[in-house]
Amino acid sequence: MENLKTELKLKVIDALNLDGMTPDDIADDAPLFGDQGLGLDSIDVLELIVLLEKNYGIRLATPADGKKVFQSMAVMADYVAANRTK
Amino acid sequence: MIKTVSIPSGISLTDFYREKVGDYPKFFKMDTLCKLGFLLGERIAREEPDRFTPREDRAVLVFSRAGCVANDRRYAASMADFPSPALFVYTLPNTVTGEIAIRNRWGGETSAYVLEQKDTALMKALVAQAFQDRCTQSAFVAWIDCPSDEEWTAEACLIDKNDL
Repeated sequence: MENLKTELKLKVIDALNLDGMTPDDIADDAPLFGDQGLGLDSIDVLELIVLLEKNYGIRLATPADGKKVFQSMAVMADYVAANRTK
Repeated sequence: MIKTVSIPSGISLTDFYREKVGDYPKFFKMDTLCKLGFLLGERIAREEPDRFTPREDRAVLVFSRAGCVANDRRYAASMADFPSPALFVYTLPNTVTGEIAIRNRWGGETSAYVLEQKDTALMKALVAQAFQDRCTQSAFVAWIDCPSDEEWTAEACLIDKNDL
């Protein structure tokens, strides 16, 4: 699971063009959205939905579903581990 | 006397951010134009005693020549695969004024101008115009020109109504 979290962090950094950020900058339980966390917004949800589909074969029905899945890296990793098809 | 601050061309903006700021993760999302505007705002605002107190009387004016062309090129390249929403949000040259205003809670007018060249007389006239409303008492004014992610001119000052 730790490897998956690190892998996800690297993919998120790449997908969202978080230039200069490293996996160590992202705490597993930190909220991804809002000023207290990574500072992502609704536009970024679209990017993360594409990331899950391209890399793990997971298709989310709506951006609203993404809000639940993308609460934190830990939540996202749990979801990917349970639902990945590739 | 109006104090001007600048960001030296070619330095690592990430290192500068980590050393001088470090508490605003949204920085990493920004394009180079916005990073420069954000860091100039930090340099200006960090010396103010009432930092982060919301205020409606401060305008933000950013002048540029290249606008956000560096990010535009990156976004255009992304269209070869899947157009990147994360890049798309920075394909407007006025986004930088919003980033500065949001960070510092400056709720006055924001304006972004793309000029053919750095025209000081025109810039002064536009700054003076910004003070013509009944609200504006000060203005954050910046010249930020970054035709690429490696080279730029970035300087800013805070102008009070009494300075005009």
